[in-house]
Amino acid sequence: MNSSALIHALLDGVLTGSVYALMATGLTLIFGVMNIINIAQGILVILGAYLSYTLSVHFGIDLFAGLVITIPTLFVVGIVVERFFMTKLKGPERTSMSILVTYAIALIIEGALNMIYSINDVQLKAWYVNQSFRVFGLWIPYIYMFGFFLAVALLGALYVMLYRTRFGASIRASLADQTAAALIGINVKRVSTICFGLGVAVTAAGGMVYGATNAFNASTSYDLISRLLTIIVLGGMGSLGGALLAAILMVTLGDVIAVVWSPIWSTPTYFFVLVIVLSLRPQGLVGKLSVREA
Amino acid sequence: MNRKGRNFRALGVTSVALASLAMMATSSGASSSTIAKGKPVTIGISLSLSGDFSGDGSAFKQGYELWRDTVNKTGGLLGHKVKLDIVSDASSPTQVVTNYQKLISLDHVNLTVGPFSSLLSLPAARAVARYGYAMVEGAGGAPSVFQAGLTNLFDVSMPVKDALVPFATWIASLPANKRPKSVAYVTTNDAFTEPQIPVAKKIISAAGVKTAYYSVFPAETTDYTPIADAVAAVKAQVVVLGSVDVPTVSAFMQAFEQAHYSPEAFIATGGPDQGTAFSSVVGIKNADGMMVPNAWYGSATTPGSAAMVAAYIKKYGGTAATVSADVAEAYSVGQVIDQAVTATKGFDNAKIIKYLHSGVTLSSVQGPVKFDKLGENNQATAFTFQWQGKNFVEVNPTSNKAAKPILFPKPVWGK
Amino acid sequence: MWSLALVVLVVFPLIVTNPTYTAIAVSTLLFMACTTSWNMFSGYSGYVSLGSAIFYGCGAYTMALVSSHAHMAGGGAQFWLVPLAGLVAMVVAVPVGAIALRVRRHTFVVITIALFFVFQTLAINASFTGGSAGISLPLIPWLFNYYNLPFYYVALGMVVFATLLSAGVRRSRFGLQLLAIRDDEDRALGLGVRVTAVKLTGFTMSAFTIGMAGAVYAMFIGQIYPQFVFDPTFDITVALMAFLGGFGTLLGPLLGGLILEASQQYLVLSFSNGSLYLILFGVLFLLVILFMPQGIVGGVSQWWALRALKREMVSMTDPEAVGANP
Repeated sequence: MNSSALIHALLDGVLTGSVYALMATGLTLIFGVMNIINIAQGILVILGAYLSYTLSVHFGIDLFAGLVITIPTLFVVGIVVERFFMTKLKGPERTSMSILVTYAIALIIEGALNMIYSINDVQLKAWYVNQSFRVFGLWIPYIYMFGFFLAVALLGALYVMLYRTRFGASIRASLADQTAAALIGINVKRVSTICFGLGVAVTAAGGMVYGATNAFNASTSYDLISRLLTIIVLGGMGSLGGALLAAILMVTLGDVIAVVWSPIWSTPTYFFVLVIVLSLRPQGLVGKLSVREA
Repeated sequence: MNRKGRNFRALGVTSVALASLAMMATSSGASSSTIAKGKPVTIGISLSLSGDFSGDGSAFKQGYELWRDTVNKTGGLLGHKVKLDIVSDASSPTQVVTNYQKLISLDHVNLTVGPFSSLLSLPAARAVARYGYAMVEGAGGAPSVFQAGLTNLFDVSMPVKDALVPFATWIASLPANKRPKSVAYVTTNDAFTEPQIPVAKKIISAAGVKTAYYSVFPAETTDYTPIADAVAAVKAQVVVLGSVDVPTVSAFMQAFEQAHYSPEAFIATGGPDQGTAFSSVVGIKNADGMMVPNAWYGSATTPGSAAMVAAYIKKYGGTAATVSADVAEAYSVGQVIDQAVTATKGFDNAKIIKYLHSGVTLSSVQGPVKFDKLGENNQATAFTFQWQGKNFVEVNPTSNKAAKPILFPKPVWGK
Repeated sequence: MWSLALVVLVVFPLIVTNPTYTAIAVSTLLFMACTTSWNMFSGYSGYVSLGSAIFYGCGAYTMALVSSHAHMAGGGAQFWLVPLAGLVAMVVAVPVGAIALRVRRHTFVVITIALFFVFQTLAINASFTGGSAGISLPLIPWLFNYYNLPFYYVALGMVVFATLLSAGVRRSRFGLQLLAIRDDEDRALGLGVRVTAVKLTGFTMSAFTIGMAGAVYAMFIGQIYPQFVFDPTFDITVALMAFLGGFGTLLGPLLGGLILEASQQYLVLSFSNGSLYLILFGVLFLLVILFMPQGIVGGVSQWWALRALKREMVSMTDPEAVGANP
């Protein structure tokens, strides 16, 4: 075990963690505004990756350039899902029902992707996927760096929108208290629809980077959704900053454990940390404590 | 409606349901060992056509079907055309157990052959044992399969435990000045790969080669970069990778390339044997020098191999190099069934089991087959194969006349 | 009604003797027992656990480890280990519940998933479990025409046990406390319900039958591998069955298990296209949730109540109809 491997693992963790942060932000935004747990987030990431795959293999469009098409596409997918299914969910069991509905949607998308793309794993290809550059004696793949920049840029844009625009203010108001937001004249319904769209749209970018750094097929979504769920729970459900912190913590911890101990114990260690944190702080790292929901 | 009335109606519904169930009930039990003249002989198979093992499941289906076509062209088994009865098990043991019972008790198949993967063949063999059926299978060579004490299970393929022996022996036999100084072992925690690594490590370590890295990673890993970086950091000259599929091998190769680490020899237990499914994913340049242990390859000269490859290309297209070893494993099962049926002059499973245990040596596209009392094929020879340029060639054991010289050290990535 | 159903279930394997159907019936009954037991805690308290495979796996490993290490002869004697497996699952459930129940409902779901994965990894990597190679259980020398029957009746016994227990809990003061927690935990706390103790007791009790089912499964299949007994799809399936049949009802989980497991095994066997199956299953599932959000039992009883109400209204406005429609 040498220290350069440790630094390497830390760096890998921060770079890939940012991409998980992006995907988890969508999930936590949807929960925060709508009290909906979107189990389909995992398969939507895979859908985003497959869209990039089709664009690059069949149309020769660069992975990053293709985002101009895939991000709006998934935004529309999100809007459609929200309009058709999420608006039907009412009553006290709304959150539990949302888990079931989005799980059913995930199954349908999974079956469709299996039929279209077969179950053989694929990986996205580009020059920056195979090549790497040297910093401080460590080789860093270009895709890790580019993915990191993309995640930072998109997260930055999301934060600017939330904190510097009028619409962002209404989202934040809805995050804080939906009833109060409606009382001060915010159209919570419209805010919800757009939030769901935004929450799903980020999976296009996340999926592209994920697909370029991992071999995937439709069933990879189960691994993704369980990671994303644990990230937003650790961060505090509905907290954007918490999702960012927890994502980087989770991936970095996993990478470091893989190097200093064994890859076998990466995931259990993270889950162990999660259980400890939640035992001490049931609301998560950054979550707000609320009496009725947690 | 009052409570009593509702009960009466329920009674009516239930009796109708019971009556229809009674009609569904058919006489259960094994079919007789003699088949009327002109009737086909049916062979029951449960394959994973969806779920985790579906990629290999489909290759197995191709192998079984090619064998059926070949045998039917020459008149079938003892004059009976072969009919395959294939059901899907979604890679689940519960389903596999139900499926074989259905094949025997409802479809009345005459013989059963194995599903894909060690994980399913054991539950399947236990289920068919209750009917006194033999289960000849081609993909269930994990050591655990043979420790269950079953007498009706026969694996025609090489027991996986010893697959890396020729490679390890070759490393150990290199002259001291050429012999690598250190080896990195990484393996997924899978019943198929895990038993292979310690066997190889023991032989290599005995020759004084240092173990620079040894690690087991979980099967559900998706991001191999930290593990690959850790392997690259120790700069071992040889990498032994316990893998079951192409994506794992491809991920390690990519991560090594990114880390600018090129081992002198790189062997993976599964993946490079998948023909173009491998070379097209990793690129033909990077494939150069990659090694894999196996018992069969596209241009093997074993009995029936050339005919099978020709039939494969005719039916599915491609070249000899595109034929997956899974196809040969399934095909060999068919060949063993053929020889057992011919020798016992019938379809009596008890006689077939006795015959296969008698120590007789049979032939298959994978080479000679002789079962020990556990049902392992102790005649199977492990070969090592290597990608050289565009070709996938046999390189080891070096005593074999047909073997090509080993490309060592392996070319640097992309060169 | 209940006794009639029991009679049907008791005579079923005597009439439908084909081992294919009895094999499907065994796994269906096991799921019915598990779902009923799961519902006894999750359905009544509203705390949805996605970690029930922890208990199923522990039960299966108890059966496999004890019977193989003790070199037991395969056969009926192994069934004595089934209650032991249930007890082991309960012992495991105490610390698991103590950790997971510190948080409220939505977080609880995720913690149970996390704990499940910890157990799965332990099973794959600990030395005493046999690792990825799994464990072979003693061979049972029963023939095909008999083999499924003992399993069938043991599984049926477990369904009856789980149903009686669940019904008993529902009628008890303890059950009312669980339901109060589901309705409003803070108010239940305010009313003096010792919520933590009640939740932990319910959680531990529900582990018993699930552990026993795991043990019977291990014995039935004869060979266990960690990924098949600590199986995340088991967690989801059990919850789905309960929601499909009717979350928190007594009959719902039984119906959900019966319909889902039997149809799933039969469909997989009949249709080999796994992807199409996923789509159909997803669509069906979506329709049930959107149009019967309370599950089959809730949906049907609501429909029944509406019909009765309509009739009543008709009879009130039209006195003639009463005579015509007794």
